[in-house]
Amino acid sequence: MALLQISEPGKSTMPHQHRRVVGIDLGTTNSLVASVISGSPTILKQIDGSNLLPSVVHYSKDKILVGKDAKNHLGKDAENTISSVKRLIGKTINDVNKDHFPLNLADGDGVINIKTSMGIKNPIEVSAEILKTLKIVAENKLCGELMGSVVTVPAYFDDAQRQATKDACTLAGLNVLRLINEPTAAAVAYGLDKKPRGCFVVFDLGGGTFDVSILNLSKGLFEVLATHGDANLGGDDFDQAIVNFLNDKYKLNITDIEIQSIVSILAREIKESLSIKKEVEVLKKISGIEIKETFTQEQFKILVKGLINQTLKATKSALHDAKLNNEQIDGVIMVGGSTRMPCIQEAVKNLFKQELHNDLNPDEVVALGAATQANILAGNGQEDLLLLDVTPLSLGIETIGSIVERIIPRNTTLPVAMAQEFTTYKDGQTAMIIHVVQGERELVDDCRSLAKFTLKKIPPMVAGAAKIKVTFQVDTDGLLSVSAEETTTNARATIEVKPSYGLSEDKIKAMLQSSYDLAEEDKASRALAETKVEANQLIELTQKALDTDKDLLSESELTSIKNDLSELIDSLKSSNNDKIKEATKKLNLQSESFAAKRMDRSIQKALTGKSINKLEF
Amino acid sequence: MTQNYFELFNLPEKFQINLEKLQENYRTIQKEIHPDRFAMATENEKIQSMIKSTQINDAYQALKSPIKRAKYILSLHKSLEKIPLPPDFLMQQMEWEEHLDTISENKNELNKFKFIINKEYEQYSLLLETQIDINQDWDEAAITIDKLHFVEKLLNKINISLN
Repeated sequence: MALLQISEPGKSTMPHQHRRVVGIDLGTTNSLVASVISGSPTILKQIDGSNLLPSVVHYSKDKILVGKDAKNHLGKDAENTISSVKRLIGKTINDVNKDHFPLNLADGDGVINIKTSMGIKNPIEVSAEILKTLKIVAENKLCGELMGSVVTVPAYFDDAQRQATKDACTLAGLNVLRLINEPTAAAVAYGLDKKPRGCFVVFDLGGGTFDVSILNLSKGLFEVLATHGDANLGGDDFDQAIVNFLNDKYKLNITDIEIQSIVSILAREIKESLSIKKEVEVLKKISGIEIKETFTQEQFKILVKGLINQTLKATKSALHDAKLNNEQIDGVIMVGGSTRMPCIQEAVKNLFKQELHNDLNPDEVVALGAATQANILAGNGQEDLLLLDVTPLSLGIETIGSIVERIIPRNTTLPVAMAQEFTTYKDGQTAMIIHVVQGERELVDDCRSLAKFTLKKIPPMVAGAAKIKVTFQVDTDGLLSVSAEETTTNARATIEVKPSYGLSEDKIKAMLQSSYDLAEEDKASRALAETKVEANQLIELTQKALDTDKDLLSESELTSIKNDLSELIDSLKSSNNDKIKEATKKLNLQSESFAAKRMDRSIQKALTGKSINKLEF
Repeated sequence: MTQNYFELFNLPEKFQINLEKLQENYRTIQKEIHPDRFAMATENEKIQSMIKSTQINDAYQALKSPIKRAKYILSLHKSLEKIPLPPDFLMQQMEWEEHLDTISENKNELNKFKFIINKEYEQYSLLLETQIDINQDWDEAAITIDKLHFVEKLLNKINISLN
């Protein structure tokens, strides 16, 4: 049961409800959910009492199993048992090596389709099943509905993968307060626990992804200086190295899904044993072939040498981008279950010539950090901490000759908006295709295609005369939005969005509808309740804003806001959803410029407040 | 926000600025207005904080890098038309590029070259400081910015060869 929480006297200026929020680590191999309980981030245990939920989903004709129960089907019913779905999310069939998945994969119009006994499923739906399970666990432990969640993604996830993860959350009925990067979440957990200061490297090798982030940790501010990684490199690949070795040596049938599934499980066991023991002996019969082998740590190290080098290369690149060398690093934080491998620890230790921080459980630290961040965002905690994160990959658009023109370089602090002007190539050109790509390479084909827009109704002019301003904006979730307009005329150009990846909003809505089979009545009362919560929140915040800053408004502005405010309060007495919604919208519109002025005032206050402090020295 | 970037960070409008103070003030402002501070706020406030926070990041980047800072100061005083670099500097450019090509495998030589180019960088920075902060000679400064930009790119190339 969740404990009652009592805040420190004097710290909280106004009593507000403690908001039920969680941090979720949606991992390749395992997933976790955590929440801050009585001031400390705590993993919420699964029904079976364990901290980890295996990220495995099993589909039979009429039943969905998640976690350990699903994992039991891996060897027996591999085709219907989906593990490591994180390696498929936000991708198309051309991005993955089908041989690495004992599944029936096919192209599905922007997503990968997985054929199961329950029909076609996509990675977003599969991930949503894992998230739903975590949500139920959390709501049971915290005794009530969740208000919001912070969900972690690999820092090196591209826009399509982030968007797909957020879609999975929506599908699972989770309100996402923020997507945050896994290494950043780990730094938060370490930061609040050990209070380190200076430049730190977070080396995060998970089941299927690798991230390395360089952060500057100071009091109250964690600033990511650079991040690098590989969204396709993790513990799974180390297993695969053993699988390949066994397939090769014992001439195992690589097209037999059942055999390969058994070899995979065996390989993982070998790898995990080698993290504790110097050598392991294997004696197993797989479809009549006897496997007899002794693996040593040294031998394993040779098998995975290429993978280790990949992680070191990425680490060096991140250091270079952060304009630091390895002597300027104050500490190295190891995160992710795969950093338990002695060969990894040795390699990182050699690179930085210092002991590693691996005293927090590498499987849990990301979820704990996410829970802390959720608590801060919800305004529950007293921690004074701000995270400034960066874009992991450069964003640009395709120009003549399939060359990428970069608009936002990698490692730019978020949120960011940058614009660039482009022009027409031919006389009288009236349309332009804007192809948005992500990646570091010069040629479009070597980068990730994110979306294609068609900009129409450009006024016909001679080549080079039109000025098309393309603006890229990346928000604090690391998600991109693009807009374009022709600036020499007032003609507003229309934009058609054709995402090359992921699901359209309509598809998500349709999936949501079919997953919630609520009665109409339930839906209506739920909608009304949500509208009322939102309205009450707006009333409370507007009143607070007026209390402190009404001097920013002219008399007429103040009167208008006050009128709309009382109108909203009145509307709440009714149970008319539309009426309340309308009044909420009106007040929001009315106070738009008030919000802007208040923001400017906080900027000024922030600096003057400090210069006064300075005088006291 | 039409405010001048220097005013925004409470700094004098100079090429030579206190970078520590810039960073400190940047952080102070972000701590106040970053979208993470408004996760529970109204839609209006969320949008406004996103806009302001983006602008602050933009302004910070513009003042942090010496070249961008110089360009920003110039943009406040003159229209930024392209002025061609003098021929002798173009010759110098080619010589440096060729030299880098011949020594790109030699760590020792690369380090020596890096030292020389670093000196060039410092000299042009000092020149820029005089041209902007003292003489307010925007046309001359514009040429120096382009030279400095080239030297910075060259330094980057040397560093890449060194790694």
